[in-house]
Amino acid sequence: MHRRRFLQTSVAALAATGSSSALHAATKAPTHHDITIYRFKFVPDTLDVRVGDTITWQNKDIAPHTATANDDSWTTDELGKRQSQTLTVTAGMSGDYYCVYHPHMKAKLTIAS
Amino acid sequence: MKLKMTLLAASLIVSMTGAAKAEDPSKLNDLEIAHVAYVADVIDIRYAHLALAISSNPDIHEFAKTMIRDHEAVNEQALALLGKLNAQPQDNFLSQSLQKGAEELITEMSQLRGDAFDKRYAENELAYHKAVNNLVENAFIPNIENAEVKSLFEAGLEIFKAHEGHAEMMVKKVN
Ligand SMILES: [Cu+2]
Repeated sequence: MHRRRFLQTSVAALAATGSSSALHAATKAPTHHDITIYRFKFVPDTLDVRVGDTITWQNKDIAPHTATANDDSWTTDELGKRQSQTLTVTAGMSGDYYCVYHPHMKAKLTIAS
Repeated sequence: MKLKMTLLAASLIVSMTGAAKAEDPSKLNDLEIAHVAYVADVIDIRYAHLALAISSNPDIHEFAKTMIRDHEAVNEQALALLGKLNAQPQDNFLSQSLQKGAEELITEMSQLRGDAFDKRYAENELAYHKAVNNLVENAFIPNIENAEVKSLFEAGLEIFKAHEGHAEMMVKKVN
């Protein structure tokens, strides 16, 4: 299930980034980032990323969490204890996100141009 | 200080549940503590199901679903740990008085509708998590002997404190 979401996101990323600058970004060795969800916090809670990078959210709490855009434009699935999910960064992912289940859990992605 | 807090937590629970007995929660053994925690989780899940049945406020629904999701996750871990330790939780005065208080409150809340229900539910969630957190932090955690049980309670407390904060937001929203 997570794998399918990952593929969809990857395809969406390619579709959304058909321009030469995005191709440039995509071919310039994307970086992988890890965000841990622990004690009701996203760690780190701010992250600089580039389109085409991958981000893995891993939940180390017992309580299930999500990482979801404030404007609902992207989300992980429900992440139970020790579950993780990887999304590929698309241009639209810049901005604030939160946990749908615990709305006080807030974090931010910044996309470098 | 710690003793004072323990007594406060105990008296809160006792007054909340209207129990006449003033037994000491800090004297419970690990298996009795586990029983209280399990009962406390189940009670909050029952309140949440009541909220889903009665309330039509989407924020209350989201909150109630989070309560069900999280308290079920904690109970799942608790049962797994008890299974691993080959132990059975033990019923006790505090579990019984919590249960009695919950029955009364469910009867009361099920008569309410609309905003009156939402307010009562949110206020009770705040008071309930506050009281349980006091109990867990000051009467239970310092007295739990088994290290794995203790660490599960510490993780549980983290979750219920988040719920307390969330309940505070809900109270503001419905008032
Ligand atoms: Cu969360």
